[in-house]
Amino acid sequence: MTRVGFLFALAYRSSIVMTCVTLVAQVFLLRMIWTAVYGSRAEAAGLTLEALLAYLTLANLQSFATQTLVSRVIHHRIRSGTVFFDLARPIGYLRQMAAFQAGNTAGSLLLLAPVVPVVLLVGSITAPVNGPGYVVTLVLGYVIAVQLALLISLLGFWMLEIGAVSLLYQLVSQFFAGTMVPLAFFPGFLGTLAEVLPFKYMGYVPAAIYVGHISDISGPLLVELAWVAGLWALLALAWSRTHRRVVIQGG
Amino acid sequence: MAEVVRALRLYVLLQRASARGAMQYRLNTAIGVLSGAIWQGTGFAFIWVVMHTFPSLAGWGLAEIAFLYGMRLTAHALAMIPMMSVHDIHWVVRNGEFDRFLLRPLNPLVQLMGNRMGLAQFGDLLVGVALLAVASQNAQVDWSLSLVAFCALAIVGGALIEAAFFLALCSLSLRMIDTFALRVFLDDVFSKFGSYPMKIFGGVTEWLLTYVLPVAFVAYIPSSVVLGKLDTPWALAAPLLGVILVWPAYLIWRRQLTHYQSVGH
Repeated sequence: MTRVGFLFALAYRSSIVMTCVTLVAQVFLLRMIWTAVYGSRAEAAGLTLEALLAYLTLANLQSFATQTLVSRVIHHRIRSGTVFFDLARPIGYLRQMAAFQAGNTAGSLLLLAPVVPVVLLVGSITAPVNGPGYVVTLVLGYVIAVQLALLISLLGFWMLEIGAVSLLYQLVSQFFAGTMVPLAFFPGFLGTLAEVLPFKYMGYVPAAIYVGHISDISGPLLVELAWVAGLWALLALAWSRTHRRVVIQGG
Repeated sequence: MAEVVRALRLYVLLQRASARGAMQYRLNTAIGVLSGAIWQGTGFAFIWVVMHTFPSLAGWGLAEIAFLYGMRLTAHALAMIPMMSVHDIHWVVRNGEFDRFLLRPLNPLVQLMGNRMGLAQFGDLLVGVALLAVASQNAQVDWSLSLVAFCALAIVGGALIEAAFFLALCSLSLRMIDTFALRVFLDDVFSKFGSYPMKIFGGVTEWLLTYVLPVAFVAYIPSSVVLGKLDTPWALAAPLLGVILVWPAYLIWRRQLTHYQSVGH
């Protein structure tokens, strides 16, 4: 299944290449905007311009890497009925789909690799302040991203049309991940909301650890592990209920 | 002239039919409009959050950026609501459906445009007009009748600029050159770079976006005039550029049309 996901990414390479081009444009735009607003200010919200630009470059690369395709694929297979073959295989359905997503991500990353130097050049990068902390929190953030995508996909078994829901999810999660603005700048209520939601682990938290904006990683790490465990349990529960429903419909 | 009026009348009839079609799926239509609005809403939320901390972006305040953003968005919506179904041209050609258009006694481009309406673009229009309405009151503008007229013309002109580039790229599909990815990129450039003061990009990028791909003429130059940031007389002619560009775009379309070869069904 992982290999299928990998090949899937390669088969749709033109769309991924296009995404890479927009990624470069996005990073360039952000760099220009932030440089303009900083002007002669040395730092804001505890971030120097240099750290901020490195943050934005990383956060955008991460948002590409933590993007998930699995809900769209599942949706398509539910509608066309081919989901039957997935369910008939002797391996857990969610595990198959998670494997598919992992392979798909690996394929996208392979295509992204040549673009990374361009992105780093257009954006900006500094040496990592806490490299291992960055990797650990990012990997856990990726796990959360996949778990949430699977949870959204399960909705597809209940509702007929989830295209709009998954688009909405994509927009909201991107915004609250802090891909364009670090969470430190979110004012008032918006800031509290962004802090509580799990999306920050895909963007803000790892990138902020990388540039040294967050120095103590034990707190975020614990909460992240709790999210992974909680979502795991939720997924298992949701699937056992969904599964029964599918069986009833199929019978 | 009579030809144009007839085409316009038939276009309205086609769009009425497609609107009736869309209304059969009310929920889907509502969600389509809403998702367009939310998409643009999060785009502006970014600016709002940034400007919460930094009151000025290259000398532009929040209300002024909102005005620029609203102008760009309204122009975009006006361009894409009628043009959205031209996006499908590659499929229409590949399925041989385009042959049907050629047999009917109406300009094939009008038929293609009448296929369906851009739904998400109504959401764009909603957000664009709302931003314009709020920003025009909060920005320091001395509104006069002529300024309002200039604004309206500039929005139409901006829509024509975007439509012209879009149409020129779409027409290549008549010769089986797929430009879908390029069109998405074009849309991205117009929306990303057109919604901010060009000044922040500086140098080569600003020059390219003004004279090569005239994104600056869609909203940046007109809104600079309205907000009193630009005081050269030629800037008042900015809305004309759209009219000037649409003509060659249509000629390209006609030219590609004469080279059209059916896929043969």
